[in-house]
Amino acid sequence: MISLRNVSKVYPNGVAALRGVELEVSKGEFVFLVGPSGAGKSTLLRLLFREEVPTSGVVQVNGHDVGRMRRRQIPFLRRQIGVVFQDYRLLPQRTVVENIAFALRVTEIHPREIKRRVGQVLELVGLTDRSGAVPSQLSGGEQQRVALARAMVGHPLVLLADEPTGNLDPQNAQEMMRILLEINRLGTTVIMATHAAQLVDRARQRVVAMEDGQIRRDELAASYSEEVVR
Amino acid sequence: MKLRTWAFCLSEANQNLLRNPVLAIASVTTTAVSLLVLGVFLLLSANVNQIANTIESQVAVRAFFSQSTTPAQESAALVEVRGWPGVRSAKLVTRAQALSQLKQEFGNQGSVLNSLGSANPLEDSLSVTASAPKDVSPLAKRLNGLTGVVQVSYQSQVVSRLFNLIDGVRVVGLGLGILLVLGALLVINNAIRLGIIARRREISIMRLVGATESLVHWPFILEGLILGLIGSLVAAGVSWWGYGAVYSSAARSLPFLPLVSPTPIARDIAGILVVLGVVLGAVGFRLSLRRLARV
Repeated sequence: MISLRNVSKVYPNGVAALRGVELEVSKGEFVFLVGPSGAGKSTLLRLLFREEVPTSGVVQVNGHDVGRMRRRQIPFLRRQIGVVFQDYRLLPQRTVVENIAFALRVTEIHPREIKRRVGQVLELVGLTDRSGAVPSQLSGGEQQRVALARAMVGHPLVLLADEPTGNLDPQNAQEMMRILLEINRLGTTVIMATHAAQLVDRARQRVVAMEDGQIRRDELAASYSEEVVR
Repeated sequence: MKLRTWAFCLSEANQNLLRNPVLAIASVTTTAVSLLVLGVFLLLSANVNQIANTIESQVAVRAFFSQSTTPAQESAALVEVRGWPGVRSAKLVTRAQALSQLKQEFGNQGSVLNSLGSANPLEDSLSVTASAPKDVSPLAKRLNGLTGVVQVSYQSQVVSRLFNLIDGVRVVGLGLGILLVLGALLVINNAIRLGIIARRREISIMRLVGATESLVHWPFILEGLILGLIGSLVAAGVSWWGYGAVYSSAARSLPFLPLVSPTPIARDIAGILVVLGVVLGAVGFRLSLRRLARV
């Protein structure tokens, strides 16, 4: 499903964000990506949806060589990948429904189908009754769930979440985690970069720990662990 | 793209325009003004051209006979010249007529010619007008070959000076028009750039959720086209309607002025302006493409 082989990434400013990373993620897995800030977690995620290109090595998603993909194919890769960020990235002037539908409108799906799917994901994230609100009227937790709904509305194969609970209080973070695990249970591969030790420890999923651009630990049903320095 | 995707792009473009109405109005205004100046210069130069052509065709070519030519030879030449193609009219001007005409032209100072006494230094001549300006110079050449003709003159210098002046006006007008069009281009480009900056978020989210680049571009292309089109329609409307008004009022008060009829030319120029406006919008977008790629 996802594989990184000997992947390195050096940014133009000389920072080596990833150094010889090897990683395999199978379909339907849930993977926590942990490690201190600057360890390379975000860079790894950004390589998967072709926001960045690896300096060397091969990044594959669903059989496609993402690093060598033609520019015009990138949109079609991204339609198979849902992404959630710490800062939600919603359109402030648009309602919840419009924000979610936005992801489908750009793919030229029929409006009736868009409506149906938006209804589905709203139910999934539990925001059916907030559908007409604009982001500023929502709490942080609700905004992040809208972002999650937008990432899921295209039925992606993979969901990438870059510190999705970073701005949330513990209760909202837990609710977010519950939905992410539910999404994974329904068959979507989930990769989540996080600092939330409690959430990781409670979920007992695969943990990939990074440090200095390298993978230090890769365990199934593992915990956040104290060895990883924050 | 499907129809509803075009509708989506159009509504995005509209939002851009409405988000920054002052800039949209500035773009439309500069486009309209610059295209209007261009249109006015096109109309002006077409008219000056026409006037100059008319003047040139009205210039008489004079063929002077030698003193020894007999009146019979002169009238034979007149008959021959009248039969040539490209000749509108021809008449014989005797030396006596020429002298009295000269006296008339001198007006109050006509008495200076009295010092000539009974002597008349002038010669008999043929005064020929051409039916079209292009006929003038071959006509002069042909007259030169007539028996008895010693000299042919027409006011070529006057006409060529006039044409030089017109050329100068045309160069200045065209230069001014081009500068203004460049200015309009920059303003449109700027409007699109600001739109791109204002919509950075939308653009990055569109790319994130898998919008193709053409879908990202089209709202801005449409924005440029709308700005250029509205500006050019204003310019085209004003120049078309305005020229019609000028023409009809000139026809009433200055009937001798041979203005170009508005029906083909003002319409054509209006069409040219609209096409130019659309091109301006498209080029304005093209110039901001790099900015768009960096979002």
